[in-house]
Amino acid sequence: MKKPLLIGAILLYATAFAASLAIRASTPEGQTASDVSRLMSARVHEVIPVRSTSDIVKALEKARRNNLKIAISGARHSQGGQTFYPDAIVLDMKKYNRILNIDRANRTIRVQSGATWDDVQEAINPYGLAIRVMQSSNIFTIGGSISANAHGRDPREGPLIDTIDSFRLMRADGNVIQVSRTENAEWFPLVIGGYGLFGVVLDADIRLTADEMLEERTLKMGVERFPEYFAENVRDNPAVGLTIARLSTAPASFLKEMYVTNYVKATAPLPDNPPKLKEERAVELTKFLFGLSRKCDWGKNVSWTLQKRIFASENGTILSRNNAMRPEIEFLEYRDVQRTDLLQEYFILVNRFVPFIEGLGKIVRGSGLNLVNITVRYVPANTDATLSYAKEDSFALVLLFNHRRDSRGISQLERATQDMVDLALQQRGSYYLTYQLFPTPEQLNAAYPGAESFFQLKKKLDPDLLFMNEFYARYAP
Amino acid sequence: MTPINVMSPSMKWMILSQSAMTFGAGVVFPFYLIFIKEIGGDFTEFGIAYGLFTLFSAFLNRLFGASSDRYGRKVFLVIGAWGTAFLFLLFPIATSIWQVYAFQIVLGAFGAMQKTCEKALIADMTEGGRRGELIGRYHFGVSLFSGAAVMAGGVLVDFFTLDLIFYIGSVVLFVGGLMLVRVKEGAV
Ligand SMILES: Cc1cc2nc3c(=O)[nH]c(=O)nc-3n(C[C@H](O)[C@H](O)[C@H](O)COP(=O)(O)OP(=O)(O)OC[C@H]3O[C@@H](n4cnc5c(N)ncnc54)[C@H](O)[C@@H]3O)c2cc1C
Repeated sequence: MKKPLLIGAILLYATAFAASLAIRASTPEGQTASDVSRLMSARVHEVIPVRSTSDIVKALEKARRNNLKIAISGARHSQGGQTFYPDAIVLDMKKYNRILNIDRANRTIRVQSGATWDDVQEAINPYGLAIRVMQSSNIFTIGGSISANAHGRDPREGPLIDTIDSFRLMRADGNVIQVSRTENAEWFPLVIGGYGLFGVVLDADIRLTADEMLEERTLKMGVERFPEYFAENVRDNPAVGLTIARLSTAPASFLKEMYVTNYVKATAPLPDNPPKLKEERAVELTKFLFGLSRKCDWGKNVSWTLQKRIFASENGTILSRNNAMRPEIEFLEYRDVQRTDLLQEYFILVNRFVPFIEGLGKIVRGSGLNLVNITVRYVPANTDATLSYAKEDSFALVLLFNHRRDSRGISQLERATQDMVDLALQQRGSYYLTYQLFPTPEQLNAAYPGAESFFQLKKKLDPDLLFMNEFYARYAP
Repeated sequence: MTPINVMSPSMKWMILSQSAMTFGAGVVFPFYLIFIKEIGGDFTEFGIAYGLFTLFSAFLNRLFGASSDRYGRKVFLVIGAWGTAFLFLLFPIATSIWQVYAFQIVLGAFGAMQKTCEKALIADMTEGGRRGELIGRYHFGVSLFSGAAVMAGGVLVDFFTLDLIFYIGSVVLFVGGLMLVRVKEGAV
């Protein structure tokens, strides 16, 4: 080939390359944000990885200057767009995760909001301290947990709000305030359980408890016996450290049988050198069982029978509270492009449990939803947060569905969800706001009497609506 | 005749250039599905895109095969490499699945040029007695690169963005095309 031709080709290519890069660079709006369920997503302006407080300050300034909204994301396990909004700047808090202080004597920890419970456990385990309230698994961030007002498996603990002493909040105007039950107290019940709509939680002071040794005990029972069993043996039994129950979704025993696992205080004290934190184990097996139950009825039957063996083999296991509070979660990692695992949670008064389960069975069978598993936790009444979900002592039923992500699948799920919410409301219960946005605004108001004042105060305290997400957009009047 | 274990410079450049080209394409193709997903498509759309590519190259193989007998193989190989290099630059700025379909059709054409002319040229460059051995060595080099490309692509996608593999693939393809300039057609 002739030289000039060659040079021409190279120049042309270089120009095209530069042009492509330039066009690419000038469209930062190309970023999409989604959550772990991948059900919804939005083109956002940009995702800013936050490492320092000044990153947040700069992001808020930029948003105000360019008239953009701010959404905040932690581990992104909420499932209804609580962490994003179209064309918003998303603050990704995961790297804002330092442990700032551990007070052994008073059993408290100060931690930045992007840290996960896992980070906290790593930090406090050597001191013989343990977390009082957290979700069943430790993958969530402190900020995300505070904003959902999460609850856990310790039957003697209420929701997370009970264990939060105070926190620092960066408001829409860029000012940082200290918030507690006595200081700037108006913000306390709004931010906790407030889904990131009142500002950015920077760090929080959280109450801890002593780590202790627990013994795992699982028993099987009929669903109708559970409320009575629970009242007699668990609720007022100080020996039970943690409790969780699972309902059968296998066709042979659908919503009829359940396993109840209690972690009972062991006689042995915590050794001076607290047990090391365990890492994920036996994940492949649980993952496989899970895969089976997702796929078909037969798989659900096999999985339910196999679980019996697993529980039997684990009966009597002695482990620390810290280790009991880090169960495997990887089985939930699910990458099928066409389907997704979706969670929902209903809070049902203890004495309405059985009628709710009966109604639920009808809805699930009638709608053809693929209900993979149901777990049950207990949450005592607590109305401290403006959006409180358990107004009376309740069972929290967590439902996992595996469902198609296409539009037909979604509208099927939407209808069934509204039916389930209605059922919960009929039983004077409510549902968890951290999942999909299927319930109607009327249903939200019925389940959350505080919703009206929540949205009013949002408009008062953040008049420009700087902090924004899909949850607000769907439900604010 | 040159001794058996000495390769002609042309053959060496041919191996280098085609290795670069398999690398450039290999770094992208296994991860193409993720790209389609990100742009909003699903398995069906992936199937369509891939099918379009294959169908178009199927028809054009005959055309380019015959044309290369008349106009020389190298020209087509260079056009194939550079054309693909240019197209890869368009993927990162694509915004809809329809653009991807269009790119696929053109990619199919370039792919046909590459495939047919590569084989024909290798046949031209080797002769009866040691053809098998040389083609074996040729494929050895080229396959090594394609394996390396897939691994490299995986790492790149995991740690960087999907767009990066298109840019890297594009540069490598362009350089692969440049190397062809050193290949003398018909040289043994
Ligand atoms: C598999 C699974 C199991 C679960 N189990 C339980 C359970 O046992 N008990 C329970 O109560 N819940 C449970 N949940 C729900 C979970 O607690 C909430 O979805 C929680 O919000 C997730 O935390 P995250 O870090 O992923 O937050 P994200 O989903 O990232 O964010 C949630 C909300 O918090 C806001 N936010 C995040 N960080 C900040 C910050 N620094 N400042 C202000 N706002 C912020 C976001 O804007 C968003 O509105 C579970 C969820 C899943 C997926």
